[in-house]
Amino acid sequence: MSVLLETKDLTVTFGGLNANNHVDLKVDSGSFVGLIGPNGAGKTTFIDAITGFVPTSAGSATFGGQDLSELKPHQRAQLGLVRTFQSLELFEDLSVRDNLLVAAYPTRWYTLLQDIFYVKQKKNDVEEKVDWALEVAGIAHQADILPTDLPHGQRKLVGVARALAAQPNLVLLDEPAAGLDTAESNSLGTHLRDLLKHDITVFLIDHDMGLVLSVCDYIYVMDFGKIIAEGTPSEIRTNPEVISAYLGEEAGEIQARSAEELRDMTIEGNE
Amino acid sequence: MDVLFGAFAGLGAGAVFAILGVGLVVAYRGSGVINFAHGAVAAYTAFTWDELRNTTHGAYVKDDGGSIFLPWFDPIPEWGFLKALHINNLPVEIYIMNDPPVWLAALLSLAMAAFIGFLMHIMVFRPLRNAPLLAKVIGSVGVMLYLQSVANLNFGGANRADNGFWEFTSTNEPIRNFLGMDRNLAGSTLYLAVAALIIGTATWALYRFTRFGLATRAADENEKGATLLGYSPQLLAGLNWVISSVLAGAIGILFIHRAGPPTFILFVVPALAAALVGSLTSIMGALAGGFGIGMIASMGVNATSYDWWPEWLPSDGVRTFAPVLVMILVLYFRGDRLPIRGTVGVGRQPRAPFAKHPLVGLGIGIGIVVLMSNIFTANWESTLTTTLLSIMFMLSLTVLVGFLGQISLVQWSLAGFACWTLIRLSADGTKIRAMDFLAIDGPGWPDPLAALAAIIAAVILGVLISIPALRIRGVQLAVVTLAAVVAIEDLLLRNEPLMGAGAATTNPTPDPNWFGVEVGALDEKTFRTDYWKYTIFALIFVAIGGLIVANLRRGILGRRFLAIRSNERAAAAAGVDVARTKMIGFGVSSLLAGMAGILVAYKVPVITSEYFNPFVGLGFLAFVYLGGITTVWGAIFGGLLAAGGIISEFGSLHFEGITQAYINAVGAIGLVINAIVTNGEGVALMLTNRSKEMTGVMRGTSSSPNEVSGSIDANTQEVS
Ligand SMILES: Nc1ncnc2c1ncn2[C@@H]1O[C@H](COP(=O)(O)OP(=O)(O)O)[C@@H](O)[C@H]1O
Ligand SMILES: [Mg+2]
Repeated sequence: MSVLLETKDLTVTFGGLNANNHVDLKVDSGSFVGLIGPNGAGKTTFIDAITGFVPTSAGSATFGGQDLSELKPHQRAQLGLVRTFQSLELFEDLSVRDNLLVAAYPTRWYTLLQDIFYVKQKKNDVEEKVDWALEVAGIAHQADILPTDLPHGQRKLVGVARALAAQPNLVLLDEPAAGLDTAESNSLGTHLRDLLKHDITVFLIDHDMGLVLSVCDYIYVMDFGKIIAEGTPSEIRTNPEVISAYLGEEAGEIQARSAEELRDMTIEGNE
Repeated sequence: MDVLFGAFAGLGAGAVFAILGVGLVVAYRGSGVINFAHGAVAAYTAFTWDELRNTTHGAYVKDDGGSIFLPWFDPIPEWGFLKALHINNLPVEIYIMNDPPVWLAALLSLAMAAFIGFLMHIMVFRPLRNAPLLAKVIGSVGVMLYLQSVANLNFGGANRADNGFWEFTSTNEPIRNFLGMDRNLAGSTLYLAVAALIIGTATWALYRFTRFGLATRAADENEKGATLLGYSPQLLAGLNWVISSVLAGAIGILFIHRAGPPTFILFVVPALAAALVGSLTSIMGALAGGFGIGMIASMGVNATSYDWWPEWLPSDGVRTFAPVLVMILVLYFRGDRLPIRGTVGVGRQPRAPFAKHPLVGLGIGIGIVVLMSNIFTANWESTLTTTLLSIMFMLSLTVLVGFLGQISLVQWSLAGFACWTLIRLSADGTKIRAMDFLAIDGPGWPDPLAALAAIIAAVILGVLISIPALRIRGVQLAVVTLAAVVAIEDLLLRNEPLMGAGAATTNPTPDPNWFGVEVGALDEKTFRTDYWKYTIFALIFVAIGGLIVANLRRGILGRRFLAIRSNERAAAAAGVDVARTKMIGFGVSSLLAGMAGILVAYKVPVITSEYFNPFVGLGFLAFVYLGGITTVWGAIFGGLLAAGGIISEFGSLHFEGITQAYINAVGAIGLVINAIVTNGEGVALMLTNRSKEMTGVMRGTSSSPNEVSGSIDANTQEVS
C-alpha cells in the first residue's frame, strides 16, 4: 500500500498556543484511519491545516507525494483531498442536490462560455456521481429540499455527501456522527466502510470512541495538539496512556467492549 | 513647500472627515450598521441651517427663509380637484420666524439632525436589526438616496453659499503668507481643526467616562450587559443614532461656508475611510484618520501644481482617490482571503430561482416591446428605451449583487467608463452634429469596433476593481466601491487629457452606424431621440443580456456564484476557486454594465458626467432590489419602476410635478420596506409566489401559502 497523506512535524500556532504540535501522521491509500481525542485537542485544526484553511507554522504535509504547502484550499480539493466541516457549512440557499453539484462539476476554462450559450448537459457522469453520493449518504429521497428544512442529523449527511460528490481520493470527515443517534451512527459507519470499495480512502475524526474503534483500521489519538498514541483498534483499546488521557480506565473498558460488538455487527453487515 | 502647505490647508477638510468619521463610529458601535446616509444627514442639516438664516451674503439669494422643512415630502401632490379642495396634506414646511438669531437657528438645525437620527433608528435600522447583511446595507443606502432626494425636493438641491457660524466665507480674511510659506490659508481652517478636536475628544470622553458610554460598550459585547446597567439595548441604539446624527449636523453647519450642502452627501466616503482607520470602533482612530486623509489629499492636490506632475492625473481625481487608497490599504492588509472559522455568516439570502424557459419569456418580452414601439411616439418611445437601458444595467447588478452576493456600488461608473471610452474611440476630431460645441480628438474607430472595445475596457476595469474585492467582503466592499465611484468620476470620466475635450463638460456622442444601419436614437429629421431603430437595437442588447443572465443562473457558474454568496469557506472546500469565480462574476457584470453604457451613448446626443453620478447608480440599485435582485424578471420590474421607466412616467403623467427626486424618494422608501419585508426577493418573486398559489388553489392541488414561500425547492421554481 502506498502512502496517500503524510504529515511531518506539522505545527499550527494560534497566538502562542500550539493547537497542533509536531504532528506526524500517515494515511495509506485504501485504508480507513481514525483520529480521536477530547474536545479542543486540535483535531479540527489538523484538518484545517492540511486542507489549507489555517496556515501552518512548521512542518510539512504531502498528498500523493505532492507537497501541499504552496496550494490553496480549492487546489487541494481538486487534487482529491476533500473535507467536511464540523460546523456543517452547507450552502443553505441551494437545494441538497445543488450543494453536491457545486462540488461535483470540475472547473474548465470554457465553463463560462458553456454556461452563457447553455450547452445542454445531458445526463452525464457528473450527475451520476451526485446520485451515487446521495445514495451512499442515504439522502437520495431528499435531494430537492433545502438543507434548512432537514433535521440536524441529515444535514450532517448532506455535508458528507457533498464531499463524496467531488470524487475524492481521501475524504476527511470531521465528526460526521455528532448529533446522530446510535442507529444512524451505526448505519453511517457501515456506509463509510463501503467507500473503500470505491477507491476512496477515509480519514475519520470523531469523539464517539465506539464508532471509531469499530470502523477504523488504524487510529491516532491526539491530546493537547500532540499525537499521544497510534495503532490498531485493539492496541488503542488497551493502550494505558490513551485510557488515562482520554477514556478514564473503567469507561474505556466498557466502551471498548461495546465497540467490539459493534464492529462484529458492521463486518457481518458488510458481508 | 507647496506640499507642506497642503498639509496645513487640508486641516479644514480633515476636520470634517474626522467628525463625520467619529459619527460613523458612534452609530456603528451603537447598532452595528455602517451608515451610508451619514453625509446626507450633514447635508440636510446644513440646508436646514441655511434655509432658516435666509442668508443673502452669499451667491445664492432666496426670496424667503425662516422655515424648517421636515425630512419628508408631501405624498399627495396637489393636482386636479384636490388642489381646489385645499386638502391639507402632510405638513412639510413649518414657519418659525424671519431672520432667527444664530443660536436659535443652530439649535433648530441640530434638533433636525437629532430627529433624523431618531427616525432612521425607528423606521429603518431597528426593524432591520436581525436582517441579513445585504438588507442592512441596502437599507442604509436607501436612506442616503432618500435624504438626497428629499433635500432636492425641499431645498432645491442646489449649492448654497452661507457665511457660516463665524461669519466666515472661504475667501474672507485668509491668513496671509502662512508661516512664511508665501501662500494664503483660508481663515477658518485652524478654527475648524480646533473645533473638530474639541468635539471629537468630548465624544471620546462621553463614551469613555460616563455610565451611558459604559453601557454602550457593554451592549457592544452582549445585550445583557447593557440591561444590567439599566439601559434597554434598543434605547441605547436609538441614543447613539441621535448622537451620531447630531455630530454630522454640527459639522454640516460648521463647514457650510466652505462647501455647498449637496457635496456633503459624498463626504461620507472620506469619512468612511477615517472610520476604517479606527477599525470602525475607535473614536480617536477615526479622528486621526479623518485629519490624515484630509491632509494627504490636500498635499496630493498641491503636488499637482509641480511641473513634473503628469497632466493626465487631475487634481480633483487625486483628492478623491486619497480616501480610496487609504481604505483599500487598510482593508486589504487586514482582510483574509477566506473568512476564518467562526466568522458570523451572511444570514439568509434572497432566493434565486432560475427560469426554466427563458426563451419563452424572451419571445413574449420582444413581442411586447415591438408592439409598444409601434404604438408609442416621441416621449413614450424615449421612455421605452430608458426602460430598456435601465433593465440592461440592472442585469449587471443581478449577476453581481443577486447571484454573487457582492454589494458593489461601482457598476454604474463602469457604464459611464464604457460610454466615455466609446466617445473617445469613435471620435475623429470633427464635429459630429452641427449643434455640437466641441469636436473631440480620437482615433475614429468604426462603430461596432469602438463599442466592442469600450465594453472590453469596462470589463477590464471591472475585473481590476474586483482584485481588492477578493479580500474585502460584505459591507466593506460596498464602502470601497462607493469610494471608487467618486474616484472614477474625477479620475477617469472628468479627465480631459485622457478622455477628450468634452469629458468634463458636455460630451457629444457618436452617430452610430452598425453595418450600414443607423442605430442611434436621434432622429435626424425631427431632432427627437425616438428613432425606432434604436429601440430595436436596445431591445437586442437587453435580450442578449437577459439570456446571458438566465443561462448563467442555470449553468455551472451560476450555481458556484450562489455557493460563494452563501459560504465562501465551504465553496473553497468544494473545490471552487473563489477568487477566480468572483473575478468572472465581476467581469460578466461589467460586461453588462458596459453594454448599458453603450446604450446610453447611442441614446442621447450630448452627455455630461453628471449622468453617471453616484445617485443615479444608487437609484438603479434601489429599483432592481425593489423589483427583485435575484432574477431577470426582477431587473425587468426594476427597469419599469425606475425613474424614467414606463411605470413611473405613467405615474407622473397623472400626478403633476413628479420629478426624478420624487421617484427616487419613493423608490428609496420602497427599497427599505422591501429590505424589511421580503428580504430583497422583491416584487417579481412575490408575484410568482402569488400566482403559484392561485394556480395551486384553482387546480385544487396545493397548498398553504407557507409551503409556497417556504419549502419549495429554490431551484425547481419556475419564473418564466
Ligand atoms: N482560529 C482560531 N484562533 C484561535 N484559536 C483557535 C482557532 N481555531 C481553534 N483554536 C483553538 O485551538 C484548539 C484546538 O481546537 P480544535 O482544533 O477545534 O479542537 P477539536 O476539533 O479537537 O475539538 C482549541 O483550544 C481552540 O480554541
Ligand atoms: Mg473539532
